[in-house]
Amino acid sequence: MVTPMLEGTLIETDVLVIGGGAGGLLAALSAKRHGPPGTRVTLVDSWLIGRTGHTAFSNAWKIVVAPDDDLDGILREIVAGNDGIADQVLVREVLANSYARLKDFEAIGMTFGRDEDGRYKRRPTRGLDLARVMYPEGGGLEFAWKLRRALEAEGVQLIDRLFVTGLLGGGSGRIAGAVGINSRSGAFHAIKARATIVATNAITFRSGFVRDITGTGTLLAYRAGASLRNAEFSYVRPGTPKFYFEGITFAIQEGAHFVNAKGEAFMRDYEPEWGDEADVPRIARAMAIENEKGNVPLYLDMSPIPEGLRDYFIQSKVKWMDYFFRKLGNEARTDMFGKTPYYALNQMTKMGIRTGADCRSDVPGLLAAGLAQAGCANHFAGFHIGLCVGNGWIAGRSAIEDLDRLPSPRLDAAEVALLHRETVAPLDAAAAAESDLILRDLQAVMFAYNIGILKKADRLEEARRQVDSLAERFKALSAPHTHELVRLKETEAMLLAAQFILGASLFRTESRLSHFREDYEARDDDRWLVWVDIAQGQGGPSFTKTPIPTPLCSAAPLDRRPTRRIARHGEDAAPVTST
Amino acid sequence: MIEKIDIGKCTGCGICDLVCPADVIHMEPAPVETQVPGLRQVNLLPIIKFREHCITCFSCEIFCPEQIVDVHPSVKNRPRPW
Repeated sequence: MVTPMLEGTLIETDVLVIGGGAGGLLAALSAKRHGPPGTRVTLVDSWLIGRTGHTAFSNAWKIVVAPDDDLDGILREIVAGNDGIADQVLVREVLANSYARLKDFEAIGMTFGRDEDGRYKRRPTRGLDLARVMYPEGGGLEFAWKLRRALEAEGVQLIDRLFVTGLLGGGSGRIAGAVGINSRSGAFHAIKARATIVATNAITFRSGFVRDITGTGTLLAYRAGASLRNAEFSYVRPGTPKFYFEGITFAIQEGAHFVNAKGEAFMRDYEPEWGDEADVPRIARAMAIENEKGNVPLYLDMSPIPEGLRDYFIQSKVKWMDYFFRKLGNEARTDMFGKTPYYALNQMTKMGIRTGADCRSDVPGLLAAGLAQAGCANHFAGFHIGLCVGNGWIAGRSAIEDLDRLPSPRLDAAEVALLHRETVAPLDAAAAAESDLILRDLQAVMFAYNIGILKKADRLEEARRQVDSLAERFKALSAPHTHELVRLKETEAMLLAAQFILGASLFRTESRLSHFREDYEARDDDRWLVWVDIAQGQGGPSFTKTPIPTPLCSAAPLDRRPTRRIARHGEDAAPVTST
Repeated sequence: MIEKIDIGKCTGCGICDLVCPADVIHMEPAPVETQVPGLRQVNLLPIIKFREHCITCFSCEIFCPEQIVDVHPSVKNRPRPW
């Protein structure tokens, strides 16, 4: 085989942020604002920054803790809602700074709804009592685009369509930047950076709505020496095979509920306290058990929602939902939801990069933000982006501190050449594009209810063998063009992630949060109030326990009863005064 | 999933290609008769190159200034859990 000639572009910067969702956008903004004048901040994304990623397609609901809210009470319920799997120091800082970020967003032109008395409109979210969430007008598309415009105005260098394929070590014991290709032309780029923030979301198997998010950055961090954690947890949410519906959380608050094929509202049988307002891992588990009982198909009964409120939930805050609703016409009304089967489908894993509350990884010069950072294992509706906003801000600040703290990075020409060879090696113009075949088989293994939701040792072992076999098949694949090369790299990362998910699921011999082991049904805080960390070991990944510190509050379940919200039509509970 | 782009009304602005997060739409040179001998005329027009990878996000339709992109709301390539 002919060695491909190294040809491409070298860019030098101070802070490199990889990934243009909420975590990356905020990390770039924070780095620019915390850095001294002249600080070079570069944000790259595999597609168009501000128009891609999970944030852009969401409602952009986010938790905001106002000055007169019960900050420590909200921290406590989030920790409890994570079954203890949370970095308490990080979560508290994220919550404590959320109001300042809200003011930042308003200062760059975002508008948040207010009632006639001038108070912010806020809503409760599922699984949490005290926390309140709010969204900017225009939802995620406006949120992400206004942040893009703000970054441009403040002098952040934006590079669209750069798919990162490797992190640079430089042989100096620290991360020195990244390499990647233009996701259309394939042109090779190396970016030398004094601090590198990975904000590429958690890995997915192209299952959720936003199937362009694949979370490959976490696996690149692993290969560069960082540890990963929370692989045994996942975000499995109710969905339909036919269409996407953002807003189930709030429809349920207005009276919608799941029913099985017999017409029974089953959620109360599984979650006596929360019922349909339970958070998604618990709904997913109930759906999987209903499936085992033969009670499928399952439906979302929207009929209890008053007529006047239906459009509000279906049209939602996101423009694509508006298009979807309008184009389906009458079919999209209550009948559509009442007659369409729902199932629980894995949207993303919860595996992220292990960092401290400062968002620094174990590898100097490498930080993590957004859902690529393993601060929590359950994010609720509104806390997903809330956490990304907060940890992005922290990561940007830490990166600036690192500029003076760490020795200067240096590039190793041999390493760059090696990464270039690895990046382009699968290209073969005569090949067929077949990574989708592997992906389809991988999805079949990982999405099976008795693997992904209801776990047991023997089934996990068998799934592991199947994934190993897929990884073998994968080795023979090539890519005829850049489009397939990107998908091939993403599939490779998914295969590695699947191995970590199954390994960590076998390792944690208890049940907690979205990790349900049939052979270890109980939560076991004595042995398992720990993170499962994954690092490169001799001959494969090593799985180790790290005790979870509880410096701020107990990790035990809450002993108070949740507030029932169902059928409190349209009320915004406990509105806050504006300031 | 994306159904069609009404190429007859397309101005070739390229926004649909730019905003697609799944690399489905590519601007490619369309065959154009050269009007001035010696000059090479290039008209870029969108083609739906990887329809099977469309994620039904509606971005191309939402941002098309001419409103000539049609995305069908049904998702046809979503995996199932069992």
